[in-house]
Formats: sequence, C-alpha cells, structure tokens
Amino acid sequence: MTGHPVNGLDDVVHQRVRLGILTIAHEGRRVEFGYLRTTLDLTAGNLSQHLSTLENAGLVTIDKGYEGRRGRTWISLTRAGRAALRAEIRQLKQLIEQLERGSG
Amino acid sequence: MATDGPDPRARLAASRGLARRVRRERRATWFPLLVFAVVTFLAIPVTRNGHAVGLNCRALPVAGPPLARVCVAHNSAAFVYWPVALIVAYLVIAAFHLHRSRARGVAGRIGPYLVVGVLLAVAVTAGSVWASRTVLTGRYDIVGWHLLGRDVYQLVAPACAIGLALLVLAAIERSVALLLVTLAYLVVAVGGVDLGWRIAAPSPWTFVPHLVVAGGILLLASAGFAVAQRPRPRPGPPGG
Repeated sequence: MTGHPVNGLDDVVHQRVRLGILTIAHEGRRVEFGYLRTTLDLTAGNLSQHLSTLENAGLVTIDKGYEGRRGRTWISLTRAGRAALRAEIRQLKQLIEQLERGSG
Repeated sequence: MATDGPDPRARLAASRGLARRVRRERRATWFPLLVFAVVTFLAIPVTRNGHAVGLNCRALPVAGPPLARVCVAHNSAAFVYWPVALIVAYLVIAAFHLHRSRARGVAGRIGPYLVVGVLLAVAVTAGSVWASRTVLTGRYDIVGWHLLGRDVYQLVAPACAIGLALLVLAAIERSVALLLVTLAYLVVAVGGVDLGWRIAAPSPWTFVPHLVVAGGILLLASAGFAVAQRPRPRPGPPGG
C-alpha cells in the first residue's frame, strides 16, 4: 500500500453509479427508488444490485413501505455513507492535484 | 484499490453536476415567499380593523417642552394575528414540502426550518408582549449597534421573524439568490423603508405603505423564483 491517492479510493464508493447514488442521497434527507432510477437512467434490476452493495457496506439504509396502495422504497445515507462520500471526494481532489502537478 | 473510470476530473465533475441538478429539482423557494407575502398583505385588513389598546406613555428624558412624551400602544388584532399567522405559515410550508417530496421522490431537510420557525413565532409573541409594555425613549447599545427606541421595536417586529426564517431557508437550500433577496427584504422591512410612499396621520392607514412594500418584495421575489425554478426537461444521465 503506497501513499498514492488511488489507493485511498474505495471500490464500493468509486464505482460510477454507486457514487451517483451516494451523491443524490446526500442532497436530500431521503430519495425514492424511482427518482434514482430515472435520474441515473438505470433499469430497476441494475439499481437494485448497486443498492444492495451499498446497503451491505452499511452506506445506505433502504425503507420499503406503502403510500396508499402504491409501494415505495426510500433510500437514506447513513453516517458511514456520508463519511465515505466525503472521503471519496477528498481522494478524487488529491488525485486531480497529483495529475496536475505531474502534467505541469 | 479502484480504477473504475477514465478520469478523476470527469468523475468529480459528474458528481458535482448531479448534486447541482438534485438541489435545483428539490428547491421550491417561491412557495415560502408567496406564503409570507400573503401573510403580510392579510395583515393590512386585520390591522385596520383592530384598535389601539394598552396606551403607555413616558416623558422624554431630554430638556424640552413639558408635554414632550412618547406613547406606545399595540393593535389589538395584529397582536394576536402575527403569532398565529406565522405558525400557520410554517405549518403550510412544511405540508407543502412533504407533499412535494412525495411527488418528486426526493425529500429535503425541513426539520431545522420548522424548529427555527416555531422558535421565531414564540420570540415574536414574547417580543410583542414586551414591546407593548415598554416605552423606549433613549439610545440603546445592542451588540455594538447604537439604536433608537423605534429601531428596537423594529427588531422584535414580525418582519424580522420572517426575514430570519428566510435566512435559515437560504442556508438549508444553499441558495445565494434567496440570501440576497432576504437581505434586501430585511433592509426594507426591518429598516422601515417605505420607498417614499407615506400616509400621514391621523389617517387610519398610516401603516399600509410599510406592509405593501415589504409584502411586494416577497411577492416579486416569489414570482422571480417561480420562473427561475420552473420544471425543465431532464438532461441525460451523468457521464464520467
């Protein structure tokens, strides 16, 4: 393990779709499954897979319920999820700095 | 180690773009502004139909004619109207946000806004009771500001509660535009600016210019935000 910022990136968070899910969830108190699906342009199955990965890592919580007869699934960021997102953004910024130093 | 994605710059830009887009879609700044404008305009007939009670006078503490004195009275209807109207306004705004978050699928953080709103309504009530019993005739130093009695009354007026609630909303929504509108509102409403429109006593409508100007700013801002935040076609999914 070296001190290079790439080594600080977390596979679970760094993946494009999962980073998108965490970013969206961070902007709201909670987000609905359908909103994530249309915003990220994913199929329901694909989104479910990514959500399971994030839930297993303890980064999001998933609440299923009903509003009237309509089933709804709400996703919220956990404290660990917020910290992981912050860490990812920090690592990305460090990586960009290193790239710019290298090319400068 | 993760290497998914070609360029960290593109990944960071995509993440920021997504955050901006969600924030934009979540905002409905026009609604609280509209509610507070309505509350301000409704105060006009309410205040007109109330009457001055609890007249409280004190002689001026400066050398002058023996009859020079300052009197404070409160309007019976406005005294009850403002705390009730502000609490109802916060409840309506909270209900709107809940409804909208269900419809859109993204819920914002309304809790801090509600807590601050109710605290401000309580503060307005306490401030009104205090102001109706206190005759301020001198100069006052409040956290380094030199204020006259009438300035102190403005600080405990409902307009100040509306302005502070909007400041909290600007912080929650991270909206610079709302912050600027709120500062302009506070200068006009709390500073007692009437834009040169005055109705002289003994007309019973002397309070109208102040409320019309303050309500007008809120209404104009609401219309501006409604246009700026109208739904747009959704862009494609983020790249990177």
